[in-house]
Amino acid sequence: MSVRILVRSFSELCLTVGTLIVLFVVYLLYWTGVKADNAASDQISGLEQQWAQSPAPSSAPPRPTASQQPAPRPAPVPAAYTEGRSFAVMYIPRLGKDWHKPVLEGTAVKDLQKGLGHYDNTTRLGQPGNFSVAGHRRTYGDPFKDFPELRPGDAVVLRDDTTWYTYRLDALPFRTVPSDVGVIDPVPTESPFRSPGRYLTLTTCDPEWGSSHRLIVWGHLDSTQPVAQGKPTALDG
Amino acid sequence: MYGWIWRHLPGNAWLRAFISLAMVLVIVYVLFQYVFPWAEPLLPFNDVTVDQGMGTAVR
Repeated sequence: MSVRILVRSFSELCLTVGTLIVLFVVYLLYWTGVKADNAASDQISGLEQQWAQSPAPSSAPPRPTASQQPAPRPAPVPAAYTEGRSFAVMYIPRLGKDWHKPVLEGTAVKDLQKGLGHYDNTTRLGQPGNFSVAGHRRTYGDPFKDFPELRPGDAVVLRDDTTWYTYRLDALPFRTVPSDVGVIDPVPTESPFRSPGRYLTLTTCDPEWGSSHRLIVWGHLDSTQPVAQGKPTALDG
Repeated sequence: MYGWIWRHLPGNAWLRAFISLAMVLVIVYVLFQYVFPWAEPLLPFNDVTVDQGMGTAVR
């Protein structure tokens, strides 16, 4: 009798644990994606609302010289990005025609659950230095799932309240170890860059479901244009 | 365990089945809302930055 109870309890325990594991996999593969997509579209609609309400004063007098060259715009005195708030939208045509994700300030777990995260110790969008962004490879909407497909010359387009920034990638994805913090230096040593400039770094994990390595791509600022001039040509194709 | 729960639920078989279903739904809700979000960052899928995880030794 007691053996029977023991065996029955053990099999019930196994069934319960099995069900829990299946539920957790469903959560990881499906539910985090649903949550992240909702959070990302919330962030983007919040940004669009914010941009619509406060049209940038600098876009009113269009400067013809401001386009097609990463010229330093005269003293915009940018406000610091707020930790945990989104400040830009990133478009990468290579990852999909409709691929666009909000970029939040900070790389905390909470930020990366809503979109991409800007390393808060790196430079601002479009400024001299290395604008560095991290994103999930898997789970939470799989934003950087196709990261290895990125190729030199691919456009990475970002939009903030006033400006479209078009970065161009300069190298194939570079695989490194997580402790290699030098990849987000202003001039990363392993990158093709040798002198200071306006650079972009994207980081994600490798292998897809692991954390033993990181994949890195680098790019440089190719052009900027005010939002009043419409989308950059990189997004047309 | 499940037999014990079933025997201690009130009412006839239909009511017991209904209560069981409600309990399952509540448990799944609690798991998805509280338990899994807590457990998920403990797994390696969140390590997408270069200065976390093993990087603490370098910094």
